[in-house]
Amino acid sequence: MAPGVTAQLVGPLWRTLPWRALAAAGTLGLLVAAGPLATGAEPAPWQTLLVLRGVALIGALGLVFLLDDPARHLTAPVPAPRPVRQALRVALVAPMAVLWWTAVLLLSHSASRPPAGAVSLEAAAVGVLALAVAALAVRLTDEASPGPFVAAALLLIAVLAPLLAPEGWALFVQADDPRWPAGHDRWALLLAVAAVVGALCGPEPLGRGARRLSRAGAPG
Amino acid sequence: MTSMTPTVSASGLSLHYGRTRALDDVSLRLSPGVTGLLGPNGAGKTTLLRVLATAVPADRGAFTVLGHDPASARGRQEVRRRLGYLPQTPGFHPDFTAFEFVDYVAILKELADRRERHREVRRVLEEVDLGDARGRRIKKLSGGMRQRVALAAALVGDPGFLVLDEPTVGLDPEQRMRFRELIAGAGEGRTVLLSTHQTEDVAMLCHRVIVMAAGAVRFDGTPAELTARAAGRVWSSTEKDPGAKAGWRTGTGSFRNVGDPPPGAEPAEPTLEDGYLLVLDGADTEVAA
Repeated sequence: MAPGVTAQLVGPLWRTLPWRALAAAGTLGLLVAAGPLATGAEPAPWQTLLVLRGVALIGALGLVFLLDDPARHLTAPVPAPRPVRQALRVALVAPMAVLWWTAVLLLSHSASRPPAGAVSLEAAAVGVLALAVAALAVRLTDEASPGPFVAAALLLIAVLAPLLAPEGWALFVQADDPRWPAGHDRWALLLAVAAVVGALCGPEPLGRGARRLSRAGAPG
Repeated sequence: MTSMTPTVSASGLSLHYGRTRALDDVSLRLSPGVTGLLGPNGAGKTTLLRVLATAVPADRGAFTVLGHDPASARGRQEVRRRLGYLPQTPGFHPDFTAFEFVDYVAILKELADRRERHREVRRVLEEVDLGDARGRRIKKLSGGMRQRVALAAALVGDPGFLVLDEPTVGLDPEQRMRFRELIAGAGEGRTVLLSTHQTEDVAMLCHRVIVMAAGAVRFDGTPAELTARAAGRVWSSTEKDPGAKAGWRTGTGSFRNVGDPPPGAEPAEPTLEDGYLLVLDGADTEVAA
């Protein structure tokens, strides 16, 4: 890519970010996190963990819209590669996501809060998984804005994962559970796999197998 | 402007979506001027355009654009630097102004120098008659104006090869006429491939026409040659001729028939659309040029 292009892209890409979805998810997440504090309740550790996991999911549901691009078809064959554009979008949002999650942790009940590092790892894994699923949707379909479908898929995954995950691969364990450390090894693995999948989905054009799902965009 | 070296040279392009054959051994050479691409829905027009625009790779076959082969990543970059593409459904960031949107596309096309880029953006917006509307948000523009923004985005950077996928669809007659002027202007000195359902667009704009059906090229020649396919095969009658491949009542009350005329039929002047209908009918499927 020509020198200077990446820097010039920052301004326009900043404006194309899905601010409504991000703001809605961010606000809702903060409200849920602040719920126990606002009501003066003293939640049990498992309740605080449940709230934090729920807030992480809410944040991830906002992130699934990050790769939506209404001008996708018009900007498909341009020299600036899609992975660069996607990476820039993620880079622009990442600092805000970190600040937001820090605020969520500060709002949670300190006496019953699980280890911050471990629960932050879970939040990061869910966020990166959301982005990976979004990148996969962009890669495999012709949808310019697959965010709503990806959000539905992520919700489904969030509901089914605790129910269907094998006992030896439990992710949603409590902090006092002896499986807590092993569970977080698995969260770290999930984070790494999601990051790799997301990165692999960036390049275009599509390969042969993936094109079968892109049929909708080729009517004529 | 004409050139001996074709801008685009493609041979044996084939592409399948699952079991569906979208492109079937398509070969063509495009030179400067406007080439029309006609065909029914599902003929493979959009797929061919997307392949030539490097948005989708073909399963088989090869092509070059201005001497660059997009099979390699480097070649694809070079092709994209020389390409303007207006897809069927462009899509916009509605809060951008026309200027901001075309400027954004210009950055994506690697026009890094801000001052030169802004000059180029103003130039293309003037070219599509949006100079006065460049500060208006896209969500406030009419459909025809949005289509012109998309054309400006395709034209920015002065590409040598312009791919337009049904740019006049959904436009009213006045807007369509205006768009024809713009496409005719864009075709001066550069190669334009125009996919359309409008045979009038082809008749008025194109120096050459390609007809596709079922993913294959059925006709490749001049509009006059396509019209000539219907010479002696269009006739008028007072009743619809049951032997006609197509027939319809005209405004004068008589029937216009296309096909193999019966003895003594009253011949009518053929049009490009008649030739197109006959090519699609399968009576003439060989490539003419």
